[in-house]
Amino acid sequence: MREVAVIGGGMTLFRRRLLETGKELSYLATKMAMEEAGIEKQDIDMVVLGSAPDAFDGIHIKGDNLVDGCAAAGKPYVRVFNGGGTGVFAPIAGWWHVASGVADVALVVCEEKMGSCYPHPQTAFRHIWDPILDRPLNPNLVWLFAMEMNRYMTAHDIKKEDIALVAVKNKRNAVGHPCAQLADPNITVEDVLNSEMMAWPVQRLDISPPSDGASALIYCSKDKARQFTDEPVWVAGTGWTIDSTMWTNRDLYFPQYVANAAKMAYKMAGISNPFKEIDIAEPYDPFDYKELHHMEGLLLCDKGQAPILTREGVTQRDGDLPVCPSGGLLGVGNPIAATMGQKVCELYWQLTGKAGKRQVPGDPRVGVGQAWGDIMQMGTVIVLRK
Amino acid sequence: MTFLEKQSDPTSFMHWRGDMQADYLYTNGVAGNRFFAHLKKKDTFLASRCPQCKKVFMPPRMFCEDCFCDIPDKAWIEVPARGTVRVWTVATINAHGKKLKEPKVIALIDIDKTDSAMLGIIKTKNPDKDLFGQKVKAVLRPKKKREGTLKDILYFE
Repeated sequence: MREVAVIGGGMTLFRRRLLETGKELSYLATKMAMEEAGIEKQDIDMVVLGSAPDAFDGIHIKGDNLVDGCAAAGKPYVRVFNGGGTGVFAPIAGWWHVASGVADVALVVCEEKMGSCYPHPQTAFRHIWDPILDRPLNPNLVWLFAMEMNRYMTAHDIKKEDIALVAVKNKRNAVGHPCAQLADPNITVEDVLNSEMMAWPVQRLDISPPSDGASALIYCSKDKARQFTDEPVWVAGTGWTIDSTMWTNRDLYFPQYVANAAKMAYKMAGISNPFKEIDIAEPYDPFDYKELHHMEGLLLCDKGQAPILTREGVTQRDGDLPVCPSGGLLGVGNPIAATMGQKVCELYWQLTGKAGKRQVPGDPRVGVGQAWGDIMQMGTVIVLRK
Repeated sequence: MTFLEKQSDPTSFMHWRGDMQADYLYTNGVAGNRFFAHLKKKDTFLASRCPQCKKVFMPPRMFCEDCFCDIPDKAWIEVPARGTVRVWTVATINAHGKKLKEPKVIALIDIDKTDSAMLGIIKTKNPDKDLFGQKVKAVLRPKKKREGTLKDILYFE
């Protein structure tokens, strides 16, 4: 496999509902990434698009509708999607285009326009279940995550106060993010604990908001990297795993499929002690407990230890292992696939010192990003290194 | 073997009857907002011209997909709501296989003074006529009844 460099990233505003069409959002993110990389459309060999269910944007096979905004018209193109896992899976697919040698320069665009699904994108989630065995019960995704959160809390005797610290950290971290939807410099644990109860133990401020938005990332091969940048950031490892739809038969306290994906990525990256060797982590945080759950899945600590690291400040921006310095999904917003902006573009910006007010001190060199999707099945992991 | 059956009876299997209801509110977009605001008040179309390749898009866009550059507001132009039929077809049955009361003529219309074509319904008393190259003009809703949507273009004739 060839070595692959990241040479540019882009990201639009994340908002509950934006005027821009999905195509226009894709254009804005793509244009920003191209300007950062210093390339034109003709320099791009192939395009990978990541976008989650068609039912959000309300356009079946929506990828084909978005391509004009993704600099893809007239080029080899593919759309990949695995629900919430897409935000890291799309950049994995972009990486293999260059690593395999079929492309020298590949563009990855991730888009989601959840605001189109009206009045609330939750209606789209009603149709992701097995029609015979689940849907007659009219299930809601929050039920599932409430049970997973409850199981995680019970298995390790974790207090809600400790989980709420994640929401507080990420919404505060997002204050420096120009795209952020729910940044809050003054939020407290009490605010989270006093927010509306949705399905025990999940409360309003434990959840990230639906959003419209897009992000983009540009890769190039090692032999071309020096044309574009003096400080390339490399894709050191990738991993992905899907588990059975029978989430009912798994112990929900630990996401084994995330651990499997992480092991695959760490093996490729030559990482044997993730906590010591990784400087920044961007685990998927659509819920506050998921950051902790995924830190454990990413083998950054022992099972049940993530809340303790959080309470001790280890995961703060200036801690030993900054976690979600972008502000994550909880603070910046959750336009499903487009969260590539926080999970992968952020690592690139952090490792190149371009993260502005969000910059992690101490010259970080290795970052891990992760996403999670489908019905508690999919783990996608990427490691970047400079 | 030619499969000619139009209906089968899936209810003969044990089943669960479901739906995939979801409702949508599609925002017009930056370019769409401007285009439809204009269409509400005027009997012409707005188009946008790429500052680099000079291609004129109708419906207009805020960017050129080829040059991958912004199309600034000042590069927008007003064009007449008419054009030339590039290609056409006549539909005689609907999506359920039922015969239409009147054949429906659908055409791709090259809009004058642009490099773009749009899909339109052609109103004609003679649907069997060859329409290649036919000059047509858009018939719009009366101004008072316009909503700022594509439905404001009733048909071409």
